[in-house]
Amino acid sequence: MTPGSESNHVLKKKALFNFSLFFIFFIFYLVSACIQTPTFKDVASIPALGLPLGVLLSLLVFPVSWVIMIIWFWRAK
Amino acid sequence: MLNYLRHLILLLVVLIAPLQVLAATGQEEATLNIPIVIGFILFFVLVSIVITWWTSRSMKSTSDFYVAGKGVPWVQVGIAMTGSYLSAASFLGCAGDIGVYGLDSIWLSIGFFGGYMAVLLLIAGPLRNIGSFTVAGALNSRYNDDRIKLCVMLCTVIISTFYLVPQMLGAGLLFELLLHWNFVWVTIGLGLLMCIYIIFGGMKATLYNQVVQALFLWGTMAVLITLAFFKVGHGNFLQVFDMAKEVVPPLLAGQNMEVVEAIRNLPPDQAIQVARQMMPDAQSAMTIGVKTSSTLAMISTVVALVFGTAGLPHILIMFFTVPSARAAKKSVALCIVALGLFYLAAIILGFLLFPGIYPKLVTWISQGTLGVGLAKNMAVLEMSFRVGGTWLMAIGAAGAVAAILSTSAGLMITVASSVSHDLYKVYINRNASEKQELRIAKITTLAMSAIAVCLAVFLKGENIAWLVMLAFGIAASAVFPAMCATLWWKHTTKQAVMASVLTGLIVSVIFIVLLFAKGAGYTIIGLPVGGGPGLFGVIASAIVLIIVSVLTKDTGDDPEKFMAIAHQPDTD
Repeated sequence: MTPGSESNHVLKKKALFNFSLFFIFFIFYLVSACIQTPTFKDVASIPALGLPLGVLLSLLVFPVSWVIMIIWFWRAK
Repeated sequence: MLNYLRHLILLLVVLIAPLQVLAATGQEEATLNIPIVIGFILFFVLVSIVITWWTSRSMKSTSDFYVAGKGVPWVQVGIAMTGSYLSAASFLGCAGDIGVYGLDSIWLSIGFFGGYMAVLLLIAGPLRNIGSFTVAGALNSRYNDDRIKLCVMLCTVIISTFYLVPQMLGAGLLFELLLHWNFVWVTIGLGLLMCIYIIFGGMKATLYNQVVQALFLWGTMAVLITLAFFKVGHGNFLQVFDMAKEVVPPLLAGQNMEVVEAIRNLPPDQAIQVARQMMPDAQSAMTIGVKTSSTLAMISTVVALVFGTAGLPHILIMFFTVPSARAAKKSVALCIVALGLFYLAAIILGFLLFPGIYPKLVTWISQGTLGVGLAKNMAVLEMSFRVGGTWLMAIGAAGAVAAILSTSAGLMITVASSVSHDLYKVYINRNASEKQELRIAKITTLAMSAIAVCLAVFLKGENIAWLVMLAFGIAASAVFPAMCATLWWKHTTKQAVMASVLTGLIVSVIFIVLLFAKGAGYTIIGLPVGGGPGLFGVIASAIVLIIVSVLTKDTGDDPEKFMAIAHQPDTD
């Protein structure tokens, strides 16, 4: 493997990892937001852990972000 | 140095004099403890002046002015970034909005919070490795074409102005509502204060002031939420949510004058029950749809917030102030944790407003449009008074000032850097010395401050809260796709970057024109223009970027080298 192709490989691996983590976050974030709209209010009202599902998912955006961040720092070492 | 000090003292006198006059005129009418509020505000003014004096001693070059010499520790930049992002809307508006509309408004807090993940995962590290003074400079370092600088400079000025004017207007309105101070004098005073610490202390003074303001704001929120949680919420979060199911949203209860009169003098718990008995079929504060419009509008808003944060020039230039890419990432991580805790507290505080000050919220809203504004902006301060007395209320008001100052200063130095470095140095005087460039930056700061004050005064009667959302929409559409592709995709071409930036700008301008001409309810392909240009702007900009990249060849002077620099291994 030449130095150029090696750096390409490293860049692709890094891009795949970073964009994958971002994609996971973004989908979770988008779904949580959409559930909180009138179109999906029936789903959002389902009780889960003492809270409506929509509220629970919305509040989970915070810890999910922190977990993704920890994974990213841990794997990026 | 002595000259600087003389100027600072003179400006301090100019700034404080109107405040004292205003205090004297507002004392009779205000319900707030005016001397304490003024004491806290003067404390901030003095702290800012001392920090500015201290940092001005080390400001010798353009690098010191623009990026604080690139040697600021990551902890300080992380805290400053938090301060720069937390505007008065975050401190007062997020909880206040929940207090007015109920559950629908929790996404105001979550939406703002989510933006930093894109910054952390996709932008911070590589952008710091490229290193520059401005966002335009970073993009241009790959393609070496002045037209790119011009396009991005234009975006920077538009985005920052859209963001800055609501801050100034919010400050003026806040003090007018709170203390009956003169709107124009307040905005002029704030504009002057920011000019002082940007002109004399540059980025370092801005950063350190943002650190102080962020710590104060964060501390205020921590004390407030702790007291409210135990005094009003009795230490049980789920119980507060259960109670919210019974609450008639103040926006609805406030429109029923019989309810308003019946609950005016009742304690909050009882008022909630009476309102529900009188309006048994009304929606509750946990009902979805009291405020939120269409799902598509929500998606557009979310897209604008996530990708817009990663394209906001006043956030991105902060990465140039830390010594390494690893430090940049750590600063964003700190910011994400601090923002998360802050916005989570804002959401909880919003729901605690019901058992805390429900009759007051309903009474405010019964006053019409002005009352809704009062409820949104004053609810947190009223809650501060309820749980901590006049001292906490005064601290809360000072916290709002801190939020406005830290955000506005970041925006103003961004515009100053961009105009002097990307416009003056490139198009007007290529041979400009560092001294000339610095002078232009300082003149731009003064001009920007004057423009922001004038626009705030001119637009005072307008509901311009959506300007901030538009700023996010433009940043998401015009800056993010070009920035992300430049940093990650070797085949991105110079022409594609320009086309992408211009497409994002054009889509945003179309939305702005339609907003003014047809109103927020007007729809384009099912998307209400009130949802902002985020969704269409990002998609259009990304598609144009990919197509033009495929059709053209100019990928920059040496894309391999650029990528190697941008993605070099992290070192501390």
